[in-house]
Amino acid sequence: MIVKYFATIRTYTGENARQVDDPPVTLGPLLETLAARYGARFRRAVFAGDELSPEIIILVNGRNVAHQGRLETPLAADDEVSIFPMVAGG
Amino acid sequence: MFGWTGTILRVDLSEGTVTREATDPRMARDYIGARGLGGKIITDELDPATDALSPANKLIFAPGPLTGTFAPSAGRYEVITKSPLNNVIACSNSGGSFGPELKYAGYDAVIVEGKAAKPVYLWIRDDQVEIRDAAAIWGQDTHDTTDLVRAETDEDAKVACIGPAGERLALISNIINDMHRAAGRTGVGAVMGSKNLKAIAVYGTGAVKVADPDRFKAAVMASRQLIQAHPVGGAGLKAFGTNVLVNILNQTGALPTRNFQDGFFPTADKIGGEALAERHLKRPKGCFSCIISCGRVSRVDHPDYLGFGEGPEYETAWAFGADCGIDDLHAITKANYYCNEYGLDTISMGSTVACAMELFERGIITTEDTDGVQLTFGNTAAMVEMVRKAAVGEGFGAKLAQGSYRLAESYGHPELSMTVKKQEMPAYDPRGVQGIGLNYATGNRGGCHVRGYTIAVEVLQNGAVMDPRVTEGKAGLDILFQNLTAALDSTGACLFSTFGIGGGELAETLSALTGVEYSLDEFLKAGERIWNQERLWNLKQGYTTADDTLPERLLKEPIKTGPAKGEVSHLDQMLPEYYSLRGWDEKGVPGKEKLKELTLN
Repeated sequence: MIVKYFATIRTYTGENARQVDDPPVTLGPLLETLAARYGARFRRAVFAGDELSPEIIILVNGRNVAHQGRLETPLAADDEVSIFPMVAGG
Repeated sequence: MFGWTGTILRVDLSEGTVTREATDPRMARDYIGARGLGGKIITDELDPATDALSPANKLIFAPGPLTGTFAPSAGRYEVITKSPLNNVIACSNSGGSFGPELKYAGYDAVIVEGKAAKPVYLWIRDDQVEIRDAAAIWGQDTHDTTDLVRAETDEDAKVACIGPAGERLALISNIINDMHRAAGRTGVGAVMGSKNLKAIAVYGTGAVKVADPDRFKAAVMASRQLIQAHPVGGAGLKAFGTNVLVNILNQTGALPTRNFQDGFFPTADKIGGEALAERHLKRPKGCFSCIISCGRVSRVDHPDYLGFGEGPEYETAWAFGADCGIDDLHAITKANYYCNEYGLDTISMGSTVACAMELFERGIITTEDTDGVQLTFGNTAAMVEMVRKAAVGEGFGAKLAQGSYRLAESYGHPELSMTVKKQEMPAYDPRGVQGIGLNYATGNRGGCHVRGYTIAVEVLQNGAVMDPRVTEGKAGLDILFQNLTAALDSTGACLFSTFGIGGGELAETLSALTGVEYSLDEFLKAGERIWNQERLWNLKQGYTTADDTLPERLLKEPIKTGPAKGEVSHLDQMLPEYYSLRGWDEKGVPGKEKLKELTLN
């Protein structure tokens, strides 16, 4: 699995992307693992309490996880996950 | 009057006369200002059969009631005219500081009629208006024009002008104000050029009157706080600009690539907002009364593409980037500067170059047509050279400056022009995002994203989240966005203030300013009225339901690669519901009941 970071998320992670071998089967635990790695600013960006933050946009294979079960979104080993803060328009 | 100045300026360049008339309060109430008011004047005064490049066309510069106040991002104005590109009511929106200055000079609209015998510019200083000789500035680019006009008038004057492209009546030419801001689309620059009008300089010593200052202040402060607290309005746009959209659209699989042949561009990250911030951004910049500051002051130091200016915006980075198969941000930024300096719409220019690239790769045109240039996708130097040629009107470039529809049609392949109603579609692939496709197809000025920006909900999660791949609910979504945007555009506020506020805040602010009570319903109704007014004009131009469509490529050819691989646009599943919800018949004609409800003749 490849996880890609964009915009301000890159400043929290210090990198543009990360290969994740043997990912968890749902999104929630994946984000937990990443938050543990990258720290508090990343955690605050992706979580609002125990819920997915309303100000984060996460795509799995191009589909917003809001339509796939949010933190329960199922993940497969060859998926591509993209993480964006709420961004612009125009 | 409050908010509105109460005065409209009319300049007849054929007769050399300047007259003043009172703004009709009922018209102001029903059509608000800017886009709505200008559209009403065109509807009332212009024979629909008028040739857009003839002296009979009217060119209107109109701010809105909010323009020039401290309402958030209240710096916008519109240029309204009959479009020479596609005969619609062109209302081209721009920011900067020019709009507020029109208000301070005392005008709700400046209507330019006729044609000057020789190049002229207008100098408006409050109620003193001069038509001045422009021989010394005709042929100059927009930056030099602005400097020279200010030197002759007032160093604090605000200037809107055309570049050489508008002088040559290029159908995709624009009007540039404050050096880097554009009334971009639908060929408004050509209308200005056709009147021999090079520039308008304005300086005003007045102020905008407020009906209820305490209520207005409360409404403005509440709105500002909402925008400040919003992740996009408060921070995101300032940090990365609109160009941050490149990666999100690409990851969604809906970044149109190589003339919409695909929806995914593997090296997109090289041309997005992150790359721009890292490499070319000097500082963000905001328009009048704006805290969002989406503008990019930028600079290119690469020896082949040296330049300084503002941009590129998302649309520009896409048009000269992914749409042309190019991932060189230096070159894209240089193309952007050419367009600003010479006065060309970046969306239409980039998309037209992309169309030419496809014609070339298919062998429909050859180096004999392209002045020896190998015009293939991904050829960076060729793209920049073509934009330069289009800017100065040289060789094949002169053809490109007429837009992709006329280009492709002249070679017998109009289906390769990625346009709706002859205007190039912007940077969202309808196959990957269904609702924006409906907006493109039904948009009153042709291919346009900004007047029904369903991307906000389908991709950007602003206020709500809807799945971009489904068609359910998209008709209603489009209508809501189109109506709200028409009303908002008419107030003089910036569309980006909707990253934070909505129709409710706008209605309240407008009511407090003008003393005319707009409920949210009445505000949206005004927007619906304005939308229908534009539609009625289009029907008179001969547009029919057959024109509410998308290029066949988007209906029949699936996206080839990326996350939206295999998708097509399902416009046919959305259009009938759209007509029905709008109160139109199955041919897209507004019904009598609807027109009566909106008090449209």
